[in-house]
Amino acid sequence: MTRVLTGIALALIWVNRIGAGASAPSAPIRFEEVAGKAGLHFTLRNAASGKFHQIELTGGGVAVLDYNGDGCTDIFFTNGAAIPSLSKTGPEFHNRLFRNNCDMTFTDVTEQAGLSGEGYSMAVAVADFDNDGREDIFVTGVKQNTLYRNLGNGRFENITVKAGLAGGDAKYGRMWSVSAGWFDYDNDGWLDLFVSNYVVWDATTEPRCGSPEQQFYCHPSVYQGLPGQLFHNNRDGTFTDVSRSSGIAGHIGKGMGVAFADMDGDGLTDIFVANDSVRSFLFHNLGGGQFKEVGLEAGVALREDGYAIAGMGGDFRDFDNDGKPDLIISGILNDSFQLFRNPGGGHPFEDFGQRAGLLMATRQFTGWSLGMYDFDNDGWKDIFFGLSHLAELDRYLGRPSALPNHIFRNVDGKRFEDISATAGSDFQQAAMHRGVAFADFDNDGRMDAVVSVLNGPAKLFHNVSANSSHWLGIRLHGRQSNREGLGATVHVHLPDGRDLYNHATTAVGYASSSEAIVRFGLGASKTAETLEIHWPGGVAQTLSGVRGDRIVDVTEGLPK
Amino acid sequence: MLWFFFGAPESAGYRAYERANALFAQQKFDQSLTAIEEALRLDPKLVPALTLKAKLAMSINRFDVARQSLEQALAADPKAQYAQFLYGLEAYLTNDMQAALPRFRKAVQLNRSDARATLYLGLTTESLGEAAEALKLYEEAVRLEKLAGRPQAETLLPGGRLLLLLGRLDDSERWLQQALALAPQTRDPHFEMARLLLRKGEAERSAAEAETALKLSGGITTDAQVHYLLIRAWQQSGMPERAEQHAEALRALESMKK
Repeated sequence: MTRVLTGIALALIWVNRIGAGASAPSAPIRFEEVAGKAGLHFTLRNAASGKFHQIELTGGGVAVLDYNGDGCTDIFFTNGAAIPSLSKTGPEFHNRLFRNNCDMTFTDVTEQAGLSGEGYSMAVAVADFDNDGREDIFVTGVKQNTLYRNLGNGRFENITVKAGLAGGDAKYGRMWSVSAGWFDYDNDGWLDLFVSNYVVWDATTEPRCGSPEQQFYCHPSVYQGLPGQLFHNNRDGTFTDVSRSSGIAGHIGKGMGVAFADMDGDGLTDIFVANDSVRSFLFHNLGGGQFKEVGLEAGVALREDGYAIAGMGGDFRDFDNDGKPDLIISGILNDSFQLFRNPGGGHPFEDFGQRAGLLMATRQFTGWSLGMYDFDNDGWKDIFFGLSHLAELDRYLGRPSALPNHIFRNVDGKRFEDISATAGSDFQQAAMHRGVAFADFDNDGRMDAVVSVLNGPAKLFHNVSANSSHWLGIRLHGRQSNREGLGATVHVHLPDGRDLYNHATTAVGYASSSEAIVRFGLGASKTAETLEIHWPGGVAQTLSGVRGDRIVDVTEGLPK
Repeated sequence: MLWFFFGAPESAGYRAYERANALFAQQKFDQSLTAIEEALRLDPKLVPALTLKAKLAMSINRFDVARQSLEQALAADPKAQYAQFLYGLEAYLTNDMQAALPRFRKAVQLNRSDARATLYLGLTTESLGEAAEALKLYEEAVRLEKLAGRPQAETLLPGGRLLLLLGRLDDSERWLQQALALAPQTRDPHFEMARLLLRKGEAERSAAEAETALKLSGGITTDAQVHYLLIRAWQQSGMPERAEQHAEALRALESMKK
């Protein structure tokens, strides 16, 4: 009898393990902060001097890219400038490029690269816009955006004017651009550019807010909003502003983070814009160069009670592995971060934050950049939040504005657990965190994160999670599609029956740009039984028996 | 000793203060301010006049003037409970939660029967992330009002909302039902009930409740909030056309603001 019962118990355990897609238990996600010993010395300076200029609150973009094609991921930071001149009056305000020496040390190569920049910089968006095999850099700023073309010899050329990106909007002129991202909206194989713009601001006319005795930053409601911009890539190194013809410019917001995904599986990439204190926008790509704003109908525009949160960063990715990209958006203290689950079929998104355990857990946070990545490679994407309250808010809160970052582990696609307390002592350190970008800097299969810090040293969180889970990275090489395959969706089917989904994008979080490699945690599976890629150009490609624990290069249309 | 039975001599400014108070109640604010200034000229430390001045200043967002007046009032009489409450309110309304917390705590200590002070202490506590403590304070505020025979819907709503946020739907419903019973012609309780019903998956009932809310006024819920709820409620009820009407209405509201 005992043997029979034992056998039944074992069978039940076995059935449960292969049943509903439960993940194998994994070791805690842990990070070590190594910027100092890695030689990554950078301080984001906002030029705050007690005058509470509004632009001091934003900025801090960071990008990861492989600018020299050596297989090791480099890092680029944006930086501020003097106010009110908005000039980078000295090296303390330079944007900076750090070359990864392929040994987890970095060298500042800014001067050689010609990337110290101009103006009060905000965000960075990286992609190979001219399909020459080299990643280029677009930097947004306060009334000054800059496109740098990667020349391939360690140097970049400022081609903003030549590219047709130096001018401003016909009505608003040059704008305060907070975020940007590259995507191919018309699937012509060339990456187009979306820029989110914040508010109308001028140092000489900005209002004074706060009390007569104590000035403070103004609430965004004091400022007039701005439209986003869409630039079509003309394939010849120039761009055409299609903001009006596309319908994008018809919507005035206070744009912060930008994220892209094909939300309805129609083969066209859609745009999400997190707006600050006004409803967020979801631009549905209708094809033919037309977009329709559907945030209200899609249920992602506002918080559940109809309140417009101070939207900061966003990621548009599938957290529950049902093949449909979902949305996570950070906000400010007492907003609660928003998680919207995409049920597909043209149905509105579900407000999933409470069910997922995020609503109350994030209520006391102010979040900036963020990202949904599988940090423990168990097959479920976790969430990393870069946090800090607004500068100077401590006097009103009675506690510091500096916050430690937080990481939430995805539990089987049903809920998220805050596991920050076990993420290592370095992870507990509070700071004025801002931009975050994600990459595997040491190519060990575990996702790392680089974080900019307002008026403090940048941080490099090296993922040292001790687990034996397997992983897979797919580096896409487009032929009909854009060179990096941005917009391609990837579906991995595992031997244990699980399906994993992801897509290629560099627009992640707030003002920042992450790697283009499409990553998967495979859990206990050493291989992907099948790997199905849907390229933006329409080509579908399937690979079988793909061994894990490596980066696989996949060229569009060619068998592996 | 007959002199025990005589109160302190009436302040020279008290008559002017009474006039100011009456004018304030009639919403004749300019005239009220003139009378307050007269009262304070006659008696610069007249606490009721200083308190009324603060109230008037807060109504026009002159929180700096309000704070000064209240600090003068409290210097003259540290036990002036209403002045202490307003002092907390000044900090709360200017988002200075660090200052609001001790001020409201003191207001509650000065009068433990003051439901309003307890309620605002709860709101401040909730803003600072202490949900469990806030809920206890909301419960206490409701208890105090019931004890005084004056329950208010506005006192029940913060607790109802917080319970909804915490996922305690049945508890939230109990609070919101009470609020609805007390103020059936006010928008806020209907809106909150509509939110709850949608959360419970009762989309059609939610839509009906929200449509009622839209026709009512009173409280803090805006037309835009109700329209947004109705978009989702009608979608989930399988009536996308009605949902779209509310989306258009919401967009029209935004256009009007520009």
